[in-house]
Amino acid sequence: MNLRLRGKLDQLFTAATGLSVVLLMLVLVAILGPMLYRGSNAVFFQDTVEFRKMQRDLFKRADDRSLETEIAEAEQFRQRAYAMLNEFRKGVDVEALSDQVRGIHRAFGEELRAKNVAGERYSELRSLTRDLRNNLETAFASQDKDEIRRITAEVLTHEGNPAFPGTSAEQLFTIARSFLATAEKVDLSRHHEYALALKEVEGLLFHTDDLPGLLGPRPDESQPLLVMLRYGATRWDQAQQLLDRFLWVREWVQAKPGKPLVMRRTPRADLFPETLWPLFTYVEQNIDKMLRPRFAAYWQFFLDDNVNSHYFGGVGPEILGTLFITVVGMLFVIPLGIVSAAYLVECAPDGQVIRIIRMCINTLAGVPSIVFGLFGLAFFVLFLFPLLGFEPKPCILAASMTLAVLTLPVMIRASEEAIRAVPRSYIEGSLALGSSQFHTFVTVTLPAALPGILTGIILSLSRIAGETAPILFTGAVSMGDIPKSILDPTRTLSYGSYDMAVGDRLAMMVPHNQYGMVVTLVMLILILNAVAIVLRTRVSRKLRGQ
Amino acid sequence: MRRVIVGMMMAVLAMGTAGYAETLQIDGSTTVGPIADAFAEYFKSVQPDLSITVKKTGSGDGAAALIDGRCDIATMSRFMKPEEFQKAVANNVLPVAHVVAMDGVCVAVHPSNPVKALTSAQIRDIYAGKITNWNQVGGSNTSIVVISRDTSSGTYETFESLVMKKTPMAAGVEYVNANPQAQARVRTTPGAIGYVGLGFQEGVKVLAIDGIMPTRQTIAKGSYPVSRPLFLFTNGYPKLGSVVHKFVSFYLTEKGQELVEAKGYVPLTNY
Amino acid sequence: MNSAEVNLTLEPAADTPRPLALMPGEDLRGYLLAHLGRAVLFLMTFSSVVAVLLILLFVIVRSLGFLSGYSLVEFLASRDWRPTAESPVFGSLAIIVGSLYVSFAALVFAVPLGLLAAVFLSDILSWRARNIVKPVVEILAAIPSVAYGFFAVLVLAPWMQKEFGFSTGTNALNASLILAIMALPTIISVAEDSISAIGRELREASYSCGATRMETMIQVVIPAAHSGIIAAVVLGMMRAIGETMVVWMASGNATQIPRPWWDVSQSIRTMTATIAGEMGEAPEGSQHRGALFAIGVLLLILTFGLNIVSEYFLTRAKKATGKT
Repeated sequence: MNLRLRGKLDQLFTAATGLSVVLLMLVLVAILGPMLYRGSNAVFFQDTVEFRKMQRDLFKRADDRSLETEIAEAEQFRQRAYAMLNEFRKGVDVEALSDQVRGIHRAFGEELRAKNVAGERYSELRSLTRDLRNNLETAFASQDKDEIRRITAEVLTHEGNPAFPGTSAEQLFTIARSFLATAEKVDLSRHHEYALALKEVEGLLFHTDDLPGLLGPRPDESQPLLVMLRYGATRWDQAQQLLDRFLWVREWVQAKPGKPLVMRRTPRADLFPETLWPLFTYVEQNIDKMLRPRFAAYWQFFLDDNVNSHYFGGVGPEILGTLFITVVGMLFVIPLGIVSAAYLVECAPDGQVIRIIRMCINTLAGVPSIVFGLFGLAFFVLFLFPLLGFEPKPCILAASMTLAVLTLPVMIRASEEAIRAVPRSYIEGSLALGSSQFHTFVTVTLPAALPGILTGIILSLSRIAGETAPILFTGAVSMGDIPKSILDPTRTLSYGSYDMAVGDRLAMMVPHNQYGMVVTLVMLILILNAVAIVLRTRVSRKLRGQ
Repeated sequence: MRRVIVGMMMAVLAMGTAGYAETLQIDGSTTVGPIADAFAEYFKSVQPDLSITVKKTGSGDGAAALIDGRCDIATMSRFMKPEEFQKAVANNVLPVAHVVAMDGVCVAVHPSNPVKALTSAQIRDIYAGKITNWNQVGGSNTSIVVISRDTSSGTYETFESLVMKKTPMAAGVEYVNANPQAQARVRTTPGAIGYVGLGFQEGVKVLAIDGIMPTRQTIAKGSYPVSRPLFLFTNGYPKLGSVVHKFVSFYLTEKGQELVEAKGYVPLTNY
Repeated sequence: MNSAEVNLTLEPAADTPRPLALMPGEDLRGYLLAHLGRAVLFLMTFSSVVAVLLILLFVIVRSLGFLSGYSLVEFLASRDWRPTAESPVFGSLAIIVGSLYVSFAALVFAVPLGLLAAVFLSDILSWRARNIVKPVVEILAAIPSVAYGFFAVLVLAPWMQKEFGFSTGTNALNASLILAIMALPTIISVAEDSISAIGRELREASYSCGATRMETMIQVVIPAAHSGIIAAVVLGMMRAIGETMVVWMASGNATQIPRPWWDVSQSIRTMTATIAGEMGEAPEGSQHRGALFAIGVLLLILTFGLNIVSEYFLTRAKKATGKT
């Protein structure tokens, strides 16, 4: 092979090696980049007045006066939208009317309970209102004007009942009357379609049974039980998505027979008669005045507890839990690791025993993490705890011990390398001055080996903080209080991330919180790593006498 | 020396439970877990000194925890198996089932799929590998990507016993761990078919099975062929008025119904 | 001569403990302390052995119930894994093959890349630049597996589906790529250590004969370090085989052997994912749980075997470079 070819190949080879490292860095960026970006959305985003309301109510942080004026201004714009909807609904939406009478029946029951009405009278009144409700619902659903007239007449005969004035049951009769009035005027055959479309629109604007809407519940409505339904869109990007769904209907239609369907977008306004069209243009043009978006830096994300299964709030307790477990785990693994390494280097006789110990340490390194979890449950929680007098339940202590066993091989290996690397001259010098072996080890070898031991600590730290499977059975919960002692279970970032990924559908609605938790975990580990690396460089500089 | 250490630990332990008057531990299924979460949050808002922990490691683990006495309530998306019952009785634990909600297993496909309904026989053949292309059941020419829940989930067992009926699933069936993942796979894969719980219909198209769509009414009445109850198991019937009793009977109240509906399940009550 | 005599005996410093120069009879306390100390150290070190033995015991005991009542041949050779069927079948061949398949595929990606990077780090990079690049490798190792799993499912899988038109994005390729990234730090650090440990003399001799850097590395240094490199590869493989969370989320979990064997776009299932996925729901003491523990035993045997192999090569490497 001639010289030039060899030279070229050599350059290619060098380039290839350089490229491999560049590829590694690119991979790192490719993995961390999207996640950091999506996770930063949990802290830096455009919030709306709903978000500030939520912060004020749930977390008690707001400048009350300015927030009140903001809410009032936003309400002014919203009132027009409510008015337009109400106008339309009066003639048409039997579903809402049904829901309304159901709500009245429920509210009446609560009022009776509040007044401590006696049992028999209570059930008598309630069954009466139940009948009224059921009759009205039949009337609403009917398309026969005669039937409607008959039923409403029958309902109105009960208006005179002395138990009703002053309670919410009165509204039943006003509703019956206004419904009769409009039913006389409207084409009943179409109101079913309008009603369905209207229900969807209101769901998008206010809230449905299980999903929040753009503006949140109306001011005169009763508060839903689920916290996340009490507020509208808290983030501007969420609001944009909801607005898009509000304005456009997406359907999958058959473009060509025998082929998959294609998606088609049509304006939602087309589903309604002209009278409701202004609503859509009004909302589209004024949504920013109704929601008042503003740039927010929600750094309390790292301190707040979560509300409604991570729909709102932050990951404070999870961070605390991860730190707890990491610290306690390190307390176990550092002494055990250093001592074992010291023994292996200093005192161990060469030969079979050493090889067996080493083999076992390496096997420990290869056991899958899920087996550790089960082992931790069976050994620490169910066997050791009763022996020591504790309750056999999962807790931080059990989780830390399990994680310590998991990372022991890493720590031992790194410490061993470090201790072995200490020049023999240091040790011999110390011994020659009359120090004992133990004293030498503590005062000479350990400090000299500190950089390598710190490497071991860094590696173990990352593993302990990031592992999920071992703490699944030994100490992690998906919901629970902040632990007050190491004998309580805790939430952690690692388990929380996994739980959100496989949990209920709430997690999919808040991808920013999901990513936020994972990114918090990665950042926490990276910060701990960085601190330890800085420490290590400083120690090794001191050792080299700089 | 040991006594000193144990003493210190006891002090720490006592510190641990000092702040809370009562504790409630709930363990079990990932399907019923969200309902337990919602109930627990409500209970905590009403009674702040109550300490509730919820774990979601699986129905089998929930049963094991109840049997070992490690939890007060076990949430399960399937009934206890005979072996579990036997172990429980051997441990002096008498499991009592409370049905907290109903769930329907919905068969879902990508929204671009023209197919609107299938018979249970067709679904069985798809999962058994006998039908491999959508054009064999009235769709377009796309190969079917079959997605199932993992074999240890209660959803899988419901699907298997009510739809597959002892026909084994094909080897090429993909398994995912949880409802959100099944839904994500079906939503992003044009040729996919999978089954999800009732609350996971966002972004996918639900098919009618044997002509019946899964809705609240059809599931509550049992006319939808693949519906199942969701359980809370306790050790014996809980003492009346205790916090465990309040928790397991919360589903009977209006507020309980509201929370069950908000999580996407079918409540048993009709307020 | 002065009347004052010079005292020539050297006293040890007052604050240091006296060394073991004395006989046990003269310094019983020191003797006992030293040996007791040694014994305590031994016990603490032995705890890791105890831990491993306990784990082995735990896993084996819980699988005995299953193994005694089920045909071993069927367990190892059948492809059907149906634990919840009416008459359960526990054939783990597809699962074992899945683990090995994904690990080997990961090595196919990781070994060339890792070797090249190790060469770069040990021979080509200056000392200062090394201090920047090494942390990058360490960061790759520090990222938790949950984060990798997230990335695999939410970013890589849809991208794969779109770009390559695969019918499914969670497949063997996805899992292998992520496992390769996770195994790379191990491979790079061990390989780099063993390449660096080859003394300068070998390299200088090769250069003085007129070889280029590429020829030196490929034909002289790497073969000289081959034991350490093989050990690095084996350690990387151990990491890949033992990984749970990522394969559970990213491999599709279909109990099948890809047909044809080179089609990495099909879903497979690994042993770790099987254990993690099914352990939660398998009732305590049932045959299903015993079968899962039996798979755990297989995993441990595999790990142990790989360990012995890597240990062998590591000792050979150490002997070759003169370090013991």
